[in-house]
Amino acid sequence: MQIDLEGRVAIVTGAAGAIGRAISRRLADNGARVVIADIDFAGAEAFAATLPRAMACHIDIADEASVASGVAAILDHFGQIDILVNNAGINTHAHRVNIDVFPRAEWDRILRVDLDGTYLMSKAALAPMLARGAGGRIINIASVVGLAAMRLQSPFVAAKAGLIHLTRSMALELAPQGVLVNAIAPGSVLSEGTRALFYSEDGSFAGRTAEFMAQVPMGRPGTPEEIAEPVLFLASPAAAYVNGQTLTVDGGWTAGYPI
Amino acid sequence: MRIELDGKLVAMTGVVTRVTEALGEALSANGATVARDHTELPDILIVALPLIPDGGFDWSELHAQARETGLAMKARGSGRIVFLMSAMAAIPMRRHPDYSVEMAAVLAALRGLAMSLAPEVVVNGIGAGTIGDPACAGDTVMIGHTPIGRAGTIDDICNAALFLCDPLNSYLNGQLLPVDGGWSVGYGRSF
Ligand SMILES: NC(=O)c1ccc[n+]([C@@H]2O[C@H](COP(=O)([O-])OP(=O)(O)OC[C@H]3O[C@@H](n4cnc5c(N)ncnc54)[C@H](O)[C@@H]3O)[C@@H](O)[C@H]2O)c1
Repeated sequence: MQIDLEGRVAIVTGAAGAIGRAISRRLADNGARVVIADIDFAGAEAFAATLPRAMACHIDIADEASVASGVAAILDHFGQIDILVNNAGINTHAHRVNIDVFPRAEWDRILRVDLDGTYLMSKAALAPMLARGAGGRIINIASVVGLAAMRLQSPFVAAKAGLIHLTRSMALELAPQGVLVNAIAPGSVLSEGTRALFYSEDGSFAGRTAEFMAQVPMGRPGTPEEIAEPVLFLASPAAAYVNGQTLTVDGGWTAGYPI
Repeated sequence: MRIELDGKLVAMTGVVTRVTEALGEALSANGATVARDHTELPDILIVALPLIPDGGFDWSELHAQARETGLAMKARGSGRIVFLMSAMAAIPMRRHPDYSVEMAAVLAALRGLAMSLAPEVVVNGIGAGTIGDPACAGDTVMIGHTPIGRAGTIDDICNAALFLCDPLNSYLNGQLLPVDGGWSVGYGRSF
């Protein structure tokens, strides 16, 4: 799809990562000025240099002071915020264990980024968005595990479910002021992380990947570009009556029981 | 919004309304050839259900027809099916029990088709809230519970349907995309 985002400023968090890069590129290709926000500043800078009119910004979304100084720097540079894509997120890799032995520190680490981080970023970006009065869009990147639970990653599952419901309450609160809030729940998407975990020859779950993919009607993982396209739609004027929704982009994985 | 449908054949079945007429024009404007009585197997099939809750309707024939076309698309190796339906498919309304039942059935059918026709064919639907003035979808009482606080436009529905036809939107499958201003999201009032 091609849409006109000329004059809009979009922040994408976690934009040095696989899905964040694809989202940022689609937004930039359609005319938006994009902020490549990431805790990995070197990665953000390197990627921002490949896009027109983009700005790299160091933000740790879990740290309120970092969020505040990042948003101030963005306003300094671009003067406004129209679109926020809350994409930064982490999961547990080292601790694939049941809840009864799940380490407290790892629980806190994940909730702080995946749920608190979205709250902090949204709050900070909303202040100038609402003050300007030109409306806006917030798009939260959740996960299918927020809709259909999975084992051995309870804080991630809980955070993503929280994000989906937070999307709804934000949508109810903010629509009267012209800010629409929606979410995307990606299924399995090829990134450096999932490639190492599932899709490479020596991945920890390599042996089970075929079995896993047999559960996905489309029989393959998605690409970051296939997540970016729905984000572009939700960020666009074409989605003016879509609000509070979670679009599940998973190749049909959770459309029903695939057996 | 512009999508690339050059050379694509779109067949439209089901009811004819102001929404389907506008969608036909939007699809043509994006390069597609739009046909109502088609003999050739289309690239995209639009299945238009009644969007005004006016009693129940018989969905089974449209489902059978969509499945038949879908199976032929699967055999060919590609295709899309887009259902134009109501947001009531996911949340029944007390005042429209029969219509809600039929819509829920269509949603189950949509998901079943998505799972059985993949990976060659992608199947999704639009869930319309209250659209247009006078309303050509939904029920105007929904607006009081819609956070956006007004009816949507026919353009809003057409754009969402175009998004489901967008060749670059290729991993969204088996989904209902509500275009209802947030009506189905939760309780929009402070009491
Ligand atoms: N890849 C998948 O299969 C998949 C599936 C479902 C959902 N998701 C979600 O999509 C989003 C992006 O995933 P990805 O696959 O691109 O991951 P990724 O690991 O490639 O990228 C995540 C990015 O977020 C950044 N980040 C981490 N913590 C941060 C913090 N505190 N502040 C700012 N930035 C931070 C990282 O530096 C990284 O650049 C995540 O929210 C993830 O949960 C991914």
